[in-house]
Amino acid sequence: MIALPVAFLLAVAVAMAAADPGPASVLRHLYLVPTLWAALARGAVGGGSIGALAGLLHAPVALPAVERHGLTSATLDGLLSLGLPVVAGLLVGCLVDGSRARAARLAAVLAIQRRLDGTGALDDKLLGVAAELRAALGARRLALLLGADVRTAQVVSVPVGTLVDVDSAAAFALASGQRVSSLDLREDPRVRADEPPEPTPVRALALPLVSGVGVVGVMAVEWSGELSHSTRAAADELALHVGLAVENARLTLRQLRFAEELAEKVAAATARLRELDQAKSEFLSVVSHELRTPLTALQGFSELLLRSALPADKAHRCLVYLHTEACALGRVVAELLDLSRIEIGRPLELRPEQVDLDDLMERNVELFAAEHREHRFRWTSAGAAVALRADPDALDRMVKNLLSNAVKYSPRGGQVSLSACPAEDLPGMVELAVEDDGVGIPPDQLARIFDKYARVPHPETTATRGLGLGLSLVKALAEAHGGRVEVDSLPGKGSRFRLLLPAVDRDF
Amino acid sequence: MLLLSAPFEPSAAAPARRPAGAFAPVVGTVAVVAAGGLGLEWLGAGPAGLGHALASGVVHGGWLALGWLLALGGAPGWRAPVLRLGSAMITAALVARLGPLGPLAFLLVPVVLLVEARGRPRLRTIGLAGARPLHALTGLVLGAFLGAHLLVTASRTFGYRLQGGGLSAYLGALAYDVGANALTAEWLFRGAVFSLLWRRVTFWPAALLATGLSLLRYLLDPALPHAAEARVGAVFYLGLVGLIACALRAWSGSLVPGYLAALGFFAAYRLLAP
Repeated sequence: MIALPVAFLLAVAVAMAAADPGPASVLRHLYLVPTLWAALARGAVGGGSIGALAGLLHAPVALPAVERHGLTSATLDGLLSLGLPVVAGLLVGCLVDGSRARAARLAAVLAIQRRLDGTGALDDKLLGVAAELRAALGARRLALLLGADVRTAQVVSVPVGTLVDVDSAAAFALASGQRVSSLDLREDPRVRADEPPEPTPVRALALPLVSGVGVVGVMAVEWSGELSHSTRAAADELALHVGLAVENARLTLRQLRFAEELAEKVAAATARLRELDQAKSEFLSVVSHELRTPLTALQGFSELLLRSALPADKAHRCLVYLHTEACALGRVVAELLDLSRIEIGRPLELRPEQVDLDDLMERNVELFAAEHREHRFRWTSAGAAVALRADPDALDRMVKNLLSNAVKYSPRGGQVSLSACPAEDLPGMVELAVEDDGVGIPPDQLARIFDKYARVPHPETTATRGLGLGLSLVKALAEAHGGRVEVDSLPGKGSRFRLLLPAVDRDF
Repeated sequence: MLLLSAPFEPSAAAPARRPAGAFAPVVGTVAVVAAGGLGLEWLGAGPAGLGHALASGVVHGGWLALGWLLALGGAPGWRAPVLRLGSAMITAALVARLGPLGPLAFLLVPVVLLVEARGRPRLRTIGLAGARPLHALTGLVLGAFLGAHLLVTASRTFGYRLQGGGLSAYLGALAYDVGANALTAEWLFRGAVFSLLWRRVTFWPAALLATGLSLLRYLLDPALPHAAEARVGAVFYLGLVGLIACALRAWSGSLVPGYLAALGFFAAYRLLAP
């Protein structure tokens, strides 16, 4: 770009030499054309250089005239023509440099903004920002130190192998909020550098990056050679902008992360609500079914008894069926009442008393053994060592639910073991264990089996009836007694439920 | 990156590195020997021109010594190399008087300087380093252009012509520029003075001050023609050469391009005869 003005300049000089009209030739004004051209193209350096060259080329024309004719108006005009191109070139060049510097600064600000607005990780964006800054400032090295403490600050665009010293100039700028300026870093007495000095000075600036919350980082810049006033001013302005821009980018990212987390939580809550809604629907369906089945039996057998004159043995059998279904209906209603109490947060009414555990367990074992002949029930008593004070009805319901659960989830029959003993790992507690060798519970379902309406689907137990309330009632009743219920299970191997209740001397 | 990796003490002060004690003996010795040489010449004692040669040699040697002291901060052990440099310069100046090709002895001075500078990496700070071909060529072209311009302007303005003193005289003058005139100017003013100033201030103040000092040196040189136009021309052209040499030193990091610019200029200047 500078070659054309030089060629034009030489052409003017040749034309002047060929015409030889003296220092007052109008051709001399043509020197301004390449001078201004160079100034517009290359700024002050280009304009000044070409202007000086124009002056030098005009000197062999202007100076002899001064020597021959003395200081006349024509020769003075010739002398002015020597200096005019330099002055014009420098002035125009300085103005061009100034406007270019402002444009470059604006371009850098926009480029930084674009980098930070883009998608991707903040680290990658900051690397891009550092590259833009380095290019805009013409720096040899530029690094960003982001964070309030130098020990934990994020370091961006640092030469490989550079370790940040906690007492470095950048750390000082970060801690104090003061800028550090050095005209030659390697000869600066404040900097304890071990590296040998270079032929050109290393100018350096460590500028605090300030945002609304204070100092958020430092921009460390090193130049080799000259550092102009305009570059220094540009560094100050860009540091101000970068501080705000980086803080904005961080806040935006935080906001996005928060919005994502919120959306996830809303989605999870919505899914949970849908699940609950579905569970309620299923519950209503199950409840209807659970109520209708015994009711249908009650209606059927009672109508049979009313309308037919049955023999005594058949009438007795009908009455047994009626009693069984009425008991089943009573259990469902009792469970629903308990559930209602739990739902509205009312404490379960317990009447604790000394419980004959052997009697209660044996009774339940006999009952279940009679109803479920394909299962084998084994009761292991700890004898007198186990004394329990509990609400007998509640304890009975807990045992029945656990046994019912064991039977339901052992669809092919098998052994159901019951035992009672002092809890070895929990002194002062009695452990009632119900163990089966049924289908077991997958690990991911273990956490929710004590939830209300929770039923663990299994291909072999799809026909199993139930409200999905049994285990949640056991849990609620156990906790009302000051105890708890635990489960260990292996899919395909079976489950073991531990009902842990306080021993006899415990108050409720 | 030293801003991050080097420990920083905000209140640390620069250590005193340039004891005036190192300059005094050098300046004193140069003054005494130069006065002695001029005295000899004035008294007419000894062969003609010997006193001048002695004075010229010791002054140029003094410039080299001052540059050495400024660059190395008067570090211990400065005496021996300074003495050897001064001796080499004085010897070359004396040998230059022996015959038409005697000035070629000045060509040994840069060699001695390079030998003395070996193993002293700190001298890189004043630009004692190699230059890229582009930088060197630029220096040479700029110097030659200014020299050519001087020839054209002087011949058109004052009617100066190319000298017909013969090749040996021209080569002798060139050798003087290579080993004494341009060498000492670059070494002291662009090397030591400009480099040290540039580390403390920006380019223009450093370049103007270094160039001003180098112009003062030329204007005080009794060998320079006393005609007004010659002095104005010297200020103009040597000022330009000085500023260009400073710019080249800053651009390239080396003294070589500025040295070549000065040599290019003086190579043209030596062709001129009033």
